[in-house]
Amino acid sequence: MDVISSSIKTYNIWFEISGVEVGQHLYWQIGGLQIHAQVLITSWVVIAILLVSVIIAVRNPQTIPTDGQNLFEYILEFIRDLSKTQIGDEYGPWIPFIGTMFLFIFVSNWSGALLPWKIIELPHGELAAPTNDINTTVALALLTSVAYFYAGLSKKGLSYFEKYIKPTPILLPINILEDFTKPLSLSFRLFGNILADELVVVVLVSLVPLVIPIPVMLLGLFTSGIQALIFATLAAAYIGESMEGHH
Amino acid sequence: MASTVMATKPIALAKASPSLSPRKISIRAQAKPSSTSIPNLKSLTSKLLFSVPSIAMLAATPLPALAEMEKAGLFDFNLTLPIIAIEFLLLMVALDKLYFSPLGAFMDARDAKIRAELSEVKDTSAEVKELEEKAVAVMRAARAEIAAALSKMKKEMTAELEVKLAEEQARIELELAAAIDNLEKEKEEALRVLDAQIDALSEEIVRKVLPTT
Repeated sequence: MDVISSSIKTYNIWFEISGVEVGQHLYWQIGGLQIHAQVLITSWVVIAILLVSVIIAVRNPQTIPTDGQNLFEYILEFIRDLSKTQIGDEYGPWIPFIGTMFLFIFVSNWSGALLPWKIIELPHGELAAPTNDINTTVALALLTSVAYFYAGLSKKGLSYFEKYIKPTPILLPINILEDFTKPLSLSFRLFGNILADELVVVVLVSLVPLVIPIPVMLLGLFTSGIQALIFATLAAAYIGESMEGHH
Repeated sequence: MASTVMATKPIALAKASPSLSPRKISIRAQAKPSSTSIPNLKSLTSKLLFSVPSIAMLAATPLPALAEMEKAGLFDFNLTLPIIAIEFLLLMVALDKLYFSPLGAFMDARDAKIRAELSEVKDTSAEVKELEEKAVAVMRAARAEIAAALSKMKKEMTAELEVKLAEEQARIELELAAAIDNLEKEKEEALRVLDAQIDALSEEIVRKVLPTT
């Protein structure tokens, strides 16, 4: 009993002083289902940042752009170039999807790394990048899957399914498997990168809080930016791949 | 105690924002009775009797409580997934209306305007070249005209001059010839007169010189 109580006490002490709360979420209830509230809150903040900065920068567009408008024109050109390279000539309707994908993931990742979320204490769990939760990344990956299916079906109709037996019908199981591995790899790549980077930074900070974590934090900024680019590029590539054909 | 433990769990779940504290408190609450008991045989046995269910509870509740906390874990799929999907789609529509479409249209219009102005400038430079060539040709023609006119004038002038010169020369020659004729006539007259005089003079000289005859 004492052993158990003392172990429980030590468990509690460790629990309170550890800064790493992996897998701890703040739960809200809607009906019978639960929600990870910390993901929702941080995603609202990300959306607010995006919409406010866009609204401020894009009112009164000048012929010769200045700071904010220049930045957003550069971002739009970048996204257009990315879509055009991957999708081809019919890239116009897909710019909002790819652009939002890139911007949402990029701002989420960088907000998780740069904004001081720990100032706000939650009763359970902690605030961090919304993309460090498997729900977010799988949601984005499933949306990408739906997008490329929609692209293929709307362009080719039911003959879209001929691609499963091209080039040879022997590859049919592999092609079907691809439809599962594409969203799986997309989601896990992003999830693993962001969560692992957060964990490394938190562990390093808890060990040596002063200067050592900074290179790792910079690396985290770099890789999280790259991950946003990779996600958007792959999404565009899948869409382009399902739209290519003899049309 | 067991019932309170069993009661707190569903209540904690059903609360709008379940936090760790009720569960923490319940764990501590369970820990307390066993730690405040007196270590003697009687209390030991009573403790044992008490604590077997409590240990069972302790064993059981942290595990599901921990399981509640850690079943959460990393791969906890719940309503968050569709909510994030819906948020993303709404964000996509909003960004399209506020950013991609208006700024994209503005940039395309600006590009088209610049391209039109560039092509205009290219056209006028061709026009300018044509005009330049025309000007050069006109200049050349004018110069040629001028040169031709000059040479013509020169020729005319020289011809006139020559004509005048010839006239004057002829006049002068005529006058000269007339003057020479005059002179000749006078010379002849003078000579004749002189001759007559010479004759007279010579006769006189002879008469005077020659003695009387």
